[in-house]
Amino acid sequence: MRAPEGRLDILSGVDLRIMAGESFAIVGVSGSGKTTLLGLLAGLDTPDAGAITFDGHALHRLDEEARADLRRRLVGFVFQSFHLLPALTAEENVMLPLELEGSRDARSRAREALDAVGLSPRRRHYPAQLSGGEQQRVAIARAFVHRPRVLFADEPTGNLDQRTGHHISDLLFALNHDHHTTLVLVTHDTTLAARCQRGIELDEGRVVPGVRA
Amino acid sequence: MKMLRLALRNLRREWHLPELRTLAASLVLAVAALGVVATLATRIERGMLASAAELIGGDIGLSSPQALPESFAARARQDGLALTRTASFPSVAFAHQHTQLLDVEATDAHYPLRGKLQLADAAGHPRSGHAPAQGGVYLDHRALVALRLKVGDRLQVGGRELSITAELVRQPDGGELLALAPRAIMSLADAEAAGLLGVGSRARHRLLLAGTPAAVQRWRDWAQATTLPQGAELITPEQTQERMRSAFDRAGAFLRLTALLSALLAGIAIALSAQRYARRKSMEVALLRALGTSRRRVLGLLSGTLGALAVPAATLGVLLALGLAQLAWLLAGALFSSVPASLPLAPAFAAAAMGMAVLVGFALPPLARLAEVPPVAVFRQSLTRRSHRFDALYLIPLLVALGLIWSQSSSLKLAGILAASLFGVATIAALLAVLLLWLARRVAPGAHPALRLGLAALARRRMLSVIQATSLSLGLCALLLLTIVAPSLLHGWRQELSADTPNWFALNLQDDQRAGFAQALQRVGADQLNMLPLALGKLTAINDQPVDQLHLDDARAQDRADRQLRLSWAGALPPANKVIAGRWAGPAPAQAEVSIDTMWRDMFALKLGDTLTFHIGERDIQAIVGSVRKVDWSSFRVNFFLLLDPAHADELPHTWLASFHLAGGHAEGLAQLSRDYSNLSLIDVDALLDRVREIVDRVGDAVRWILGFSLLAGALVLAASLAASATERRHEAALLRTLGARRTQLRMAAACEFALLGLLAGLTAALGAAGAGLWLGQAVFHIDGFVPPPWPLAEAALAAAIVVMLLGLAGMRRIVRTPPMRLLRES
Repeated sequence: MRAPEGRLDILSGVDLRIMAGESFAIVGVSGSGKTTLLGLLAGLDTPDAGAITFDGHALHRLDEEARADLRRRLVGFVFQSFHLLPALTAEENVMLPLELEGSRDARSRAREALDAVGLSPRRRHYPAQLSGGEQQRVAIARAFVHRPRVLFADEPTGNLDQRTGHHISDLLFALNHDHHTTLVLVTHDTTLAARCQRGIELDEGRVVPGVRA
Repeated sequence: MKMLRLALRNLRREWHLPELRTLAASLVLAVAALGVVATLATRIERGMLASAAELIGGDIGLSSPQALPESFAARARQDGLALTRTASFPSVAFAHQHTQLLDVEATDAHYPLRGKLQLADAAGHPRSGHAPAQGGVYLDHRALVALRLKVGDRLQVGGRELSITAELVRQPDGGELLALAPRAIMSLADAEAAGLLGVGSRARHRLLLAGTPAAVQRWRDWAQATTLPQGAELITPEQTQERMRSAFDRAGAFLRLTALLSALLAGIAIALSAQRYARRKSMEVALLRALGTSRRRVLGLLSGTLGALAVPAATLGVLLALGLAQLAWLLAGALFSSVPASLPLAPAFAAAAMGMAVLVGFALPPLARLAEVPPVAVFRQSLTRRSHRFDALYLIPLLVALGLIWSQSSSLKLAGILAASLFGVATIAALLAVLLLWLARRVAPGAHPALRLGLAALARRRMLSVIQATSLSLGLCALLLLTIVAPSLLHGWRQELSADTPNWFALNLQDDQRAGFAQALQRVGADQLNMLPLALGKLTAINDQPVDQLHLDDARAQDRADRQLRLSWAGALPPANKVIAGRWAGPAPAQAEVSIDTMWRDMFALKLGDTLTFHIGERDIQAIVGSVRKVDWSSFRVNFFLLLDPAHADELPHTWLASFHLAGGHAEGLAQLSRDYSNLSLIDVDALLDRVREIVDRVGDAVRWILGFSLLAGALVLAASLAASATERRHEAALLRTLGARRTQLRMAAACEFALLGLLAGLTAALGAAGAGLWLGQAVFHIDGFVPPPWPLAEAALAAAIVVMLLGLAGMRRIVRTPPMRLLRES
């Protein structure tokens, strides 16, 4: 990208392949380019140079609309700061991806998803009335409710205490296993990364050679 | 001092926040709009006063049945005012074998101080000028016809031989509308030399003054504090003839209405921006509180920041107001040529003070609430407990709004109607918004995906949706009142003065002349003929107490008691009259009854059942006050302060008064009529009609100018109202895009959401504007049968929905085009 200081390479020489159904970790210190790589892989942004192929689709050649279409059908997200809409109840937040699809049974499917993360009793609560762990469980229910092929998780336990973080990561890996969903995880928690089948470490935008998280 | 430094630093840091910029812009625009409106309104009111000054021949004057003491003229000279003296009296003129009673105005050479006399020379060529020189006299057409004279001939008035130097076509201060005799203007020196103004004369003396507004005001204040001679009264532009006064009152009400609505629009915009600013600040305040800052210090810092923002913003607003008012003035200079050119500064500064009051009133409640934010909110906002300590603060914007309405309208009725209408609109809008949200929850699941998302978006921001719908409705209602109802009221007023409004009066018509006169009028092409009996008499007693023994506080009452009065009678209530107390007597009540106008009720402190005794001809008649009427003096119909019942009044000595309409270009026909009915006095009121039409036109021009600035304030309300949800919308759009929402999906959803909001606001505003218009038309502007135009209002409601939708979509453009990754990082 271009910056006032001149050309800035945020990511460079990143060459990787993630297989369907596997869990993959991207680790690195703050500012190493992890979130940028995740955004590129999920089609939230496009690289200035290079190629990204997603389920046979060349993401770098697709416009924003086409990428949005892919995201809607194939991708789920879990964020470090949850990103729930504060004015919606837990159930309404989970319904969002289904409403975007035009699904007619959004409410019942959302209830099932909340049930799967153990939050049925709190479905009418607003995010501000839930603890951090509960909010993240709602976010996971939202990410899984439309059965995505790939789940992108950006520091999913970064805002949680260790015990709650464990519960959340257990939930993510269980869903990954049960639904055969590809899990791409950005974290600087080495324990969490170690639970993934494969991974890379980034340093100043480059893959650290020979490191397998 | 330390706090001020801290506030300035805080302002510098926060200046990038859109809410703060919107708040500043709102205040600038509020002060500018209020200032422009007030400055223009002041200038236009000055223009109207100048126009009215022409009607009295000066800026102010004093009238008295005796010669006025020198002290009044001396004080005027001391105040730097120009002055002229006049004396009017009836006098018989002789020419050859003919005699005629004339209404003579004897004046010095400076008369009139404002406006000019319109004259015609021997060949009929028009010219304008001042009073005649010594030895000269001007006669009006009726006098020339009655005495069979022409310009250049000579006649005798008060034993002095005078030469007719011009025909008097129009006198700016046209005298009493129902002057009984033809008019003449002669030199005051001649009148004095002829002994016409000596002891025992029936002359009414006037001292007319003109000068700068400040000097006029000084003299006025002094005169009001001085004991006036017996029977003397001040002549002010506001107290010109009844019809003109009514026109000025209406004109003033129109201007104040437009100014007031602009101020309220600005207030709404400020309230919305402050609300948004306070929402954003709540987390920061929690942090400051957690770090040990006291509640008082937090409030001090917030007030300081707001103050540091308000002072330069208000200053900029004042400068803008003065600049724009001057520009508007220069552009419209041709329209208001008679108005003093100096730029009044006071209204813009008053507007700044009002803008500050609006800022404090509307911004204080949400900001003061911030003091409630507990330090624990740093961890989770849900821990914030809602206290009711500051609830009373929400009365402040209400009080400020009411104060604004009161200060700008200066009429309890106008203020009450506007306040009630706007309150009604706000309540209906809020209720409809709640209903819409309730419906949204039920309809959404089965609706079209775009509509479902739009409805869901509305439902998601419940409180914001209600606030948006209410503020949009109020803003649109004010705009509709300005753009549709006010011009329509003006149009209604203009129509009252339609081309066929009676413009001639005929006095002194005898019973046996009525039929012939009507036929003669038909022959010359006159129409709208209306005849009423007219008796001249004096009020001799009230409740059997002789009037000359009564102590009358009101100078006008004393004057009426001394003068000959005009009375009439009618079986049915005449048009443009409304009985407001008692009941209309009808054609034949058991006892003689009189119906009085409200002015008489007030002047003599009369009540129903009082008895009035009149001496008419050689007869006395005692009548009970049976009803009080409100007369629309602007209607240009023949109206009377006193109406008797026909059964008891028919036998009183009387003549007839006829009013009719005659288009221009019938001078020859009228001259013939004057010759055939030489006892008749024909009076042309076109001059007065033209003056009122001119006032209506000027008000129309002024309203159009003010409207432009009000529209800006309206646009700001719209923008602030839509921006109120921008933060939430941005975050929401970013998330939805991340989850795969298509741009069209977001656009369609936004279109549905804004169209619904716009439709709700448009419909409520149209209903509110129609109701307020109907009410204002009847109760304030007294325009009979006024109905606000339904179709333009319905179209405006629809247009409002479309504009809100388009503006909402325009606001969404940036959001839907930005890559979601960047949006997520921004949020």
